[in-house]
Amino acid sequence: MSKVEPAELVIIGAGPAGMAAAITSANYGNRVVLLDEQPSPGGQIYRNVTHSTHLRDKILGTDFQHGRALTSKLKQPQIDYRPNAKVWRVDDDGQICYSIEDKATRITGKQIIIATGALERPVPVPGWTLPGAMTAGAVQILLKSSGLLPTQAVLAGAGPLLYLLAAQMIRAGVPPLAIVETQQRRDYISAARYLPVAMGNWPLLGKGLRLLAEIRRAGTPRYTTANNIKITGSSDVQGIQFSSSGKHHEIECNCVLLHQGVVPNTQISRLLRLTHSWHPQQHCFVPNTVAHGKTDNPIFQIAGDGAGISGALAAEHQGKLCALNALQQLGAADQTIIETEQSVTLKQLNREHRARPFLDTLYAPPTEALAPASDTIICRCEEVTAGAIRQQIPKGCTGPNQTKAFSRCGMGPCQGRYCGLTVTEILARENALAHDEVGAYRIRAPIKPVTVSELASLHE
Amino acid sequence: MEPEYAIIGGGIVGLSVAHGLLALGKRVAVYDEGDNGIRASRGNFGLIWVQGNGLNLPAYSLWTRRSAAAWRDFADEIEQQCNTRLNLKQEGGFRYCLNEDELADVAEQYRGLAAQTGDDYPFEVLGHNALRHEEPNIGPNVAGATLHHEDGHVNPLALLRSLATLVRQQGGQIFNSITIDKITRSNSKYALFSGKHELARAQHVVLCSGIGNRTLGPSLGFKASVRPQRGQVLITEKTAPLMRRPSDVIRQVDEGGVQIGASAEEVGTDDRDSLAITAQLAAEAQQLFPALSNVNIVRGWGALRIMSPDGLPIYQHSKTHPGAFFVTCHSGITLAAAHAKFLPLWIVGHSDAPDLECFSEDRFETHPN
Repeated sequence: MSKVEPAELVIIGAGPAGMAAAITSANYGNRVVLLDEQPSPGGQIYRNVTHSTHLRDKILGTDFQHGRALTSKLKQPQIDYRPNAKVWRVDDDGQICYSIEDKATRITGKQIIIATGALERPVPVPGWTLPGAMTAGAVQILLKSSGLLPTQAVLAGAGPLLYLLAAQMIRAGVPPLAIVETQQRRDYISAARYLPVAMGNWPLLGKGLRLLAEIRRAGTPRYTTANNIKITGSSDVQGIQFSSSGKHHEIECNCVLLHQGVVPNTQISRLLRLTHSWHPQQHCFVPNTVAHGKTDNPIFQIAGDGAGISGALAAEHQGKLCALNALQQLGAADQTIIETEQSVTLKQLNREHRARPFLDTLYAPPTEALAPASDTIICRCEEVTAGAIRQQIPKGCTGPNQTKAFSRCGMGPCQGRYCGLTVTEILARENALAHDEVGAYRIRAPIKPVTVSELASLHE
Repeated sequence: MEPEYAIIGGGIVGLSVAHGLLALGKRVAVYDEGDNGIRASRGNFGLIWVQGNGLNLPAYSLWTRRSAAAWRDFADEIEQQCNTRLNLKQEGGFRYCLNEDELADVAEQYRGLAAQTGDDYPFEVLGHNALRHEEPNIGPNVAGATLHHEDGHVNPLALLRSLATLVRQQGGQIFNSITIDKITRSNSKYALFSGKHELARAQHVVLCSGIGNRTLGPSLGFKASVRPQRGQVLITEKTAPLMRRPSDVIRQVDEGGVQIGASAEEVGTDDRDSLAITAQLAAEAQQLFPALSNVNIVRGWGALRIMSPDGLPIYQHSKTHPGAFFVTCHSGITLAAAHAKFLPLWIVGHSDAPDLECFSEDRFETHPN
């Protein structure tokens, strides 16, 4: 059996937060181990950026190319970057179990930065499990990793990523058939009061307006204030139905790309039993952090979207701040230099945060996606419907761990990553409880499937 | 209406007893904790197990076998009433031995128990080849197994869910997300408190709250000698049929996953799982069934068994508080049929009540805490 490798600082995840944290640490001459599940660095946002082509760069845009500013700085001796590393267990004493090519290994960090980012919020509308229904994020992965795009697609949902993907499809010569937008008039009205503050991050808002102009020039039809979305088809997607401005619409298509924003990936923070709170504007649980990343456990910090959705540029600043915190803890850098860099980074981070309340409110997920109709499947692993969850309530279920025991919802290999927030939302509504009172699934190792022999290989 | 019997604890034990009392025509209310209560009933292994039980107390062997024998009717009744499937199988179970000496020792113990309980103890000793005939996927290093024909398994979560449904169907009340932290007696009634609030009064109270009995028991005159013991369990992805019968350390569940377990640790109320134990469980499972090596583990968990000092159940009527009962065991699934069909007769003082004197807490000298 292999020994446990000791390390000063370990970072889990090589997206913008994890890369920035590693680079910051290396800048101070500190060795860092950077574990990442993907074969190349970048996270989801800059996925495969190191292997992109000129054409793909043009389609994906300059924001994507920015990722190379980070990946190019990873190649330095202080950064021990380990790709294809699947982290499947983290203990509160700082021990991390991960596997590379089915070989299990252990490493212990004196300081650990969790930078595992976000997951796309599932959009369980009728028909979402049909082949041909995908998330916008999944199609972006396809585009970034292999340059592929669907040709007869309708985009449906809300959020900046929807417009970004539409623009990318237009640039690639396969524009979407239509964009079906779920934000309602009341969302615009609620969001308006955050607009003045959001203007403080004008570059971000400007980018959004340019995307919308690009879509308008291409003549892509946009259906606004849409609801009652239903994906139709028997064995695969044949179309999408919805209401927009009081009228019923049907569009024939073989692909529907759904998106309702992203939510923090809290698998590791839940596994560590760190405390979490409900974020009402972002409609998700967020681990409780102070001083930009410090958690209840002094060994662990959380950087980037895993600590609350703030976007890729904010994630970089957060990664940097977490690294500075860690260096402080390790006594690995001069206090005054750290403090100077902290205050500069904090100003940049605050600017990135300015547009968040506006975007969160404008693109708030609609009820039909948060608490779906009873015949809609919400747990794909065990094929459990929203109705099956509601049926457990008269049996005395007030929380997701009880509905899990009674319905198997959340017992599959994804460990409730996809159905967790939906179950909490349904229980909160049906029992008239606050989300924090309802709570979330208890997460147990392994957080990613691991073979019996891999686990057995760590037996002493 | 005021319940005649207030049952504290809505797990398998509490619901089995509630179901049985309702069948006797009693008015019953069950008080159950919330989503984050310590719940042995959500983490157990699902065995209906007979072999090896009661080696030190033959009466316990007979009690578990009586329950196992009643299980088929109990399951049929639940399945009919709730229109559900519990997937009960009682086609025997194995205890695997990795060496010949261990196998000989176990066989000798079972023969001794058989002699003390009327020579009716249907078990066989299988050497490696005979075992391979029964379990073709067994590993080459397994010396053999004892096969007891009364052993079996069931879907424990389906049982929990069905009992919760059935008790309500029978007219029992179940109150969820309530922690009863104080019980007082006045005017020959028991008053149940959650914090400062008195929630209900009842003539009788039955403590079935697992480790919670430790807190509530002493105020009702019980020694309440129970402690948590952690067991860890792993479950694999669904896989093709790999084993025909359950064993005390590994079984294939009705949904297709393979459940691996049987650790025991004294760690207080910490119900987390650990790398050391889960890795050991995986290594042992791989040795028993080498074909498991490349099967994915999708979940693991720790859960707390409720243990008495000698590991046997405690059934006690309070000597100082008439009408207060203490019920605890670590084999809530095996004993569910007995707890539903026989134990309630003892609680109501029926003439057909089983003799449970040997499970009285009088057997423990002093309070362990």
